[in-house]
Amino acid sequence: MTTDVRPLSLLCELTYRCNLQCPYCYNPLDLDGYRDEIDTATWQRVIGEAADMGIVQLGFSGGEPTLRRDLSALVRTAAARGLYTNLITQGTFLDAARLAELVDAGLDHIQISLQAPERELADEIAGTVVHERKLEAIARVQNSPIALTLNCVLHRNNHDSIAAVIDLAASFGVRKLELANVQFYGWAYRNRGGLMPTREQVAHGLEVATAAKRRYAGRMEIVYVLPDYFEDRPKACMHGWGRAFMTVAPNGRAMPCPGAATITSLSFENVRDRGLAAIWNGSAAFTAYRGTAWMPDPCRSCDRREIDWGGCRCQAFALTGNGAAVDPACALSPDHDVIVALRETGSRHPTLVPRRMREATPA
Amino acid sequence: MTTALRPGFERGVRLRTADDGTAMLLVPEGAIKLNASAAAALALVDGERSIDDIVAHLCARFDVDDARARDDVTALFERLRMRRMLVLA
Repeated sequence: MTTDVRPLSLLCELTYRCNLQCPYCYNPLDLDGYRDEIDTATWQRVIGEAADMGIVQLGFSGGEPTLRRDLSALVRTAAARGLYTNLITQGTFLDAARLAELVDAGLDHIQISLQAPERELADEIAGTVVHERKLEAIARVQNSPIALTLNCVLHRNNHDSIAAVIDLAASFGVRKLELANVQFYGWAYRNRGGLMPTREQVAHGLEVATAAKRRYAGRMEIVYVLPDYFEDRPKACMHGWGRAFMTVAPNGRAMPCPGAATITSLSFENVRDRGLAAIWNGSAAFTAYRGTAWMPDPCRSCDRREIDWGGCRCQAFALTGNGAAVDPACALSPDHDVIVALRETGSRHPTLVPRRMREATPA
Repeated sequence: MTTALRPGFERGVRLRTADDGTAMLLVPEGAIKLNASAAAALALVDGERSIDDIVAHLCARFDVDDARARDDVTALFERLRMRRMLVLA
């Protein structure tokens, strides 16, 4: 079976190893199951196949992708094929030598994450001392030929610092700042009770971001991503399942999105066994929710079915146990009350579980 | 905007023309599909040519009115400048 839908973007999750322990990480909980990482030659073959398929955007992510020593070699392979290369990093390993290596390899863009604008809070969220090194990395990238975006994931513990995040980004003169409310996948889903912002925080954040957007127009682009737990219609997740995006996990598993492995009713193919194009076209996991034919009502007859493509399948599975259910983020979902109830957990304060490869043994 | 300014791409922005002739602007984590006239104007952006030069090139190559081309090109460049995809020096 083939499809005339072609992917534009491939996310290469090079490793799930990371020296940070952010409780909002969207990586899967079973990180330890991904230690058998695919090798350089396999990644290079996959990158070549992506270029052959007409993919134009390549993301290198993780975990922390700079922990892979072959990162620059992979960037070089991608750049040689004309692909646009993005590095999504927390920045703590971007010293002058590493950055020079990436510039030389032809990297186009770096996105650095910030946990918070203040050192104490940032290090507390990351679970380790990182903030100063991140600021140094930001300055270093700003003085390089590589474009820089700052990204701050917002949740209850840092949401009130949003104005300071904007000031910090502006002080570095970055071209783009993403203020992204936490999405509840992986570790973030596990920690949703402690991460959920309050309704007041979200409203205040939107107000501050909207004002800043006007103030910095033409100098810094500011994107404020609303949490879809607070909206009435679902997000157009991945611009539709199997329509524009592919993800390859560290162990070679090919998926329509980074969270898809949580849908345990699907089985995924591996790039070690099959070419990328064949997986895109024919793999059952990719065709499962592609297009609109799989949709239940009210999605099937909804005039937004080709706008939001039914929302997020991972969220539907996590909250209802059925990957083909209406995304509960939609007010028309019979399970919308689940989302409404979860919003209210923003008024409680459960303990956050830090992201770790192995669970710490209880004391 | 004065049309003596010289547009150039911002860091991390590049024009890509596919084998079938369709063009897109590749930007951080995104791609913007371009129509034929936007693609023709952006293909002339090199940090050296002024907006006037670019308009003159377009008028020489296509059957287009000078004032109309100037308006369209200026509006396109201004939109891209506001999104920090183009610098005007």
